[in-house]
Amino acid sequence: MRTILIVDDDKNLRRLYRAEMEAEGYRVMVAENGREASEMVAKEVPDLVILDIRMPEMDGLEAMARILREHGDVPIILNTAYSCYQDNFLTWAAEAYIIKSADLEPLKKKVKETLSQGAGGP
Amino acid sequence: MSRQESSQSFSTVPLERRLVELTILYEVGRALQATLDEEKALYTILVGVTAGRGLAFNRAFILLVDPEQERLRGEIAIGPSSPEEAAAIWHELREKHQTLGDLLRAVDRSTVRKDLRVNEIVAQISIPLQASAHPLIRIMQSHEASLAQGGVFQPHGLPVDESLAQLLGTNAFAVAPLYLADENLGLLLADNAITGAPIDPPRLKMLQIYAQEASASLENTRLYRELMNRIEACENANRVLRESQYFQLQAERLSTIGRMAATLAHEIRTPLVSIGGFARRLLRSTAADDPRREEMQIIVAEVSRLERLVEEVLGYSKISKPECSLTDINDLILSVLLTMQTEFERASVRLVHELDPGLPKASVDQAQLRQALMNLIANSLEAMPSGGTLTVSTTFETDFLEIGISDTGIGIAEENWHRVFTPFFTTKASGTGLGLPVVSQIIDNHNGSLRFESSRGRGTSFHVRLAFDPGRHVATADPPSIAPSQEQNS
Repeated sequence: MRTILIVDDDKNLRRLYRAEMEAEGYRVMVAENGREASEMVAKEVPDLVILDIRMPEMDGLEAMARILREHGDVPIILNTAYSCYQDNFLTWAAEAYIIKSADLEPLKKKVKETLSQGAGGP
Repeated sequence: MSRQESSQSFSTVPLERRLVELTILYEVGRALQATLDEEKALYTILVGVTAGRGLAFNRAFILLVDPEQERLRGEIAIGPSSPEEAAAIWHELREKHQTLGDLLRAVDRSTVRKDLRVNEIVAQISIPLQASAHPLIRIMQSHEASLAQGGVFQPHGLPVDESLAQLLGTNAFAVAPLYLADENLGLLLADNAITGAPIDPPRLKMLQIYAQEASASLENTRLYRELMNRIEACENANRVLRESQYFQLQAERLSTIGRMAATLAHEIRTPLVSIGGFARRLLRSTAADDPRREEMQIIVAEVSRLERLVEEVLGYSKISKPECSLTDINDLILSVLLTMQTEFERASVRLVHELDPGLPKASVDQAQLRQALMNLIANSLEAMPSGGTLTVSTTFETDFLEIGISDTGIGIAEENWHRVFTPFFTTKASGTGLGLPVVSQIIDNHNGSLRFESSRGRGTSFHVRLAFDPGRHVATADPPSIAPSQEQNS
C-alpha cells in the first residue's frame, strides 16, 4: 500500500483529502504545517507528498526544500489556492502544481499518474 | 483797472477753453480706465469724439491694424447719417445725461450698436500695411495728426485719396494716429460731414491728444484680454491637473480594491474546496433514487460557479504588463477558433472568417490576446442561444490592424452600452461580469482600442484595434525578394 503525506493547515481540507485518498486505496498521513511535515518525513518517507504552500510556522516551499534535500526522490505535488507561486522557480522542483478546487479529480489523477511512474508500480 | 480787465478777458478765453479740454480728457480717461471690454472701449472713444460736451465732431471712425491680415481696417464708427438724425440723437442724449461723464458711463453693450450707416462706410476701409505710399498708412506711421482739406493732408502735404473722400462723403476730415511707443494701433478719423463746420487747428491738436489717451486705453483692454487668456490657460492647466489627481486617486482606490478582491478570492478558495469536496463525497455515497441528491447537486454546482468567479476575479486582478512578441495575428485567431470548435458545434453557430492574408505581424502578448479573443468569442456565442453566424475578420491600415468579431445574436440594449466594460456588470444568469472587462484591460495594456456597435435583435460587432510598427512590416515583407539574388551571388 502506497503512503501519501497530506500537508495543509486547514483542518477540514485535511479531513476531506484523507477521506478521498483513503477511498482511492492509499495509506494517509497528515501534517498541519511545513515543520511537522519535515519531521514526519524524517521518521517515515512517504511515497508522495501533497503540500499546501501558505501555512503558519513553516511554509510549503521551505518544507519542500528540506524534504528534497534529504529525500530527493519523493514526488511532491503542490496544492495551493494561489497561482502566483508558479512564477517562483522553487516550485519547479515539484512534480506538479495544482490549484485547489472542489473537484479533486485532477489531483487524484495526478497522484495516480505520479505513483505509477515511480519505482515498483502501484 | 481797464488794463487789468482787458488782460483778464484776454486770458480767460483760452483758460476756459483749456479747462473744457482738460475736463473732456479727464472724463473720457476716467470712463476708459473703467473699461476693460475692447468693444466698449472703442465705443466710448467714439462717443467722446462726437459728444457735444466732448470734442463735438459730427462723426467718428476707428481704423485698427489687423496684424494677422496685415491690414489697416475700418472697425467701428459713430455718427448720424443726416442732419435730422443728428438733431434727434443729440437731443435725446442731452435730455438723459447732464455731463459727458454721465453720457460715457451710460455706454454699455446695449448702446454699442453697429447697425448705423457709418458702420457700412467704415467696413469698406481696408488698406494693406505694405501700401507704404498710402496717405493713411503714412500718417499712421508719422504718429502725427493730419487735417484733410482742399484735397491735401496738412501738415503732411499728402494728397487726399479720392475714393476715401467719396466714401466719407466729405473731403474735410481730421485723422489722428492711435499708437504706442513701438506699435501702430490704427487711426482715429473724425469729421463734420453733417453740419459742415470747419475743423480748426486747436481741435485737431485736441484730437491728437485724445487719440493718445484712447491708445493707452486700447492697450489696457488688450493687455487685459491677454491676461484673461493666460488666466484661462492657467485655469485649464489647473483643471487638467486636478482631474489627473482625481484619476490617480481613483486608480489607487481601484488597485486597493483589486488587492482586497484578490486576497478575498484566495481566502474563499479553501473553504470552497471543503464545501464542494464534501458535497461531492455525499453525492457519491447517496443512492441514485434519493431525493436529497438534487439538493447536493445544487451545492456542487453553486460551488463550481463560485470557483469560476474566484478564478476570473484573480485573473482580472492579475492582468499585468504584456510580454510582447511579434505575432501573426491570423495564426493566433485560427488557433483560438480551433480550440473553441466544439463550442461552435454545441451552439450551432456557423463560423465565417475573413482574414486578410497580407496582415502584418503585430507585437502582442500572445497569452493575453488569446484570452481576450476567447472572451469576445465566448461572449458572441452566448449572445446566440439559438444559433447564428459568427464572423471573424482582420484588416489593416498604414499603422494599425483591426480584428472584427461580429455575431447575429440578441444585441446589447442601449441602456447597457456604457456598462459593458464595467467589472461585475452582467445581464446573464450565469455570467461573472468579468469577460469583457478583461478584454478591455488586455487591449488597454497593448495601447490598443476596443469599440463595439450593437443593435437589438440583430447582433453585436466588436472591433479590436492594435498598432503595429510599419517599419517592421516592411522588414518582414522584404527578405523573400532579397533571398533569390543572394542565392545567385553565392
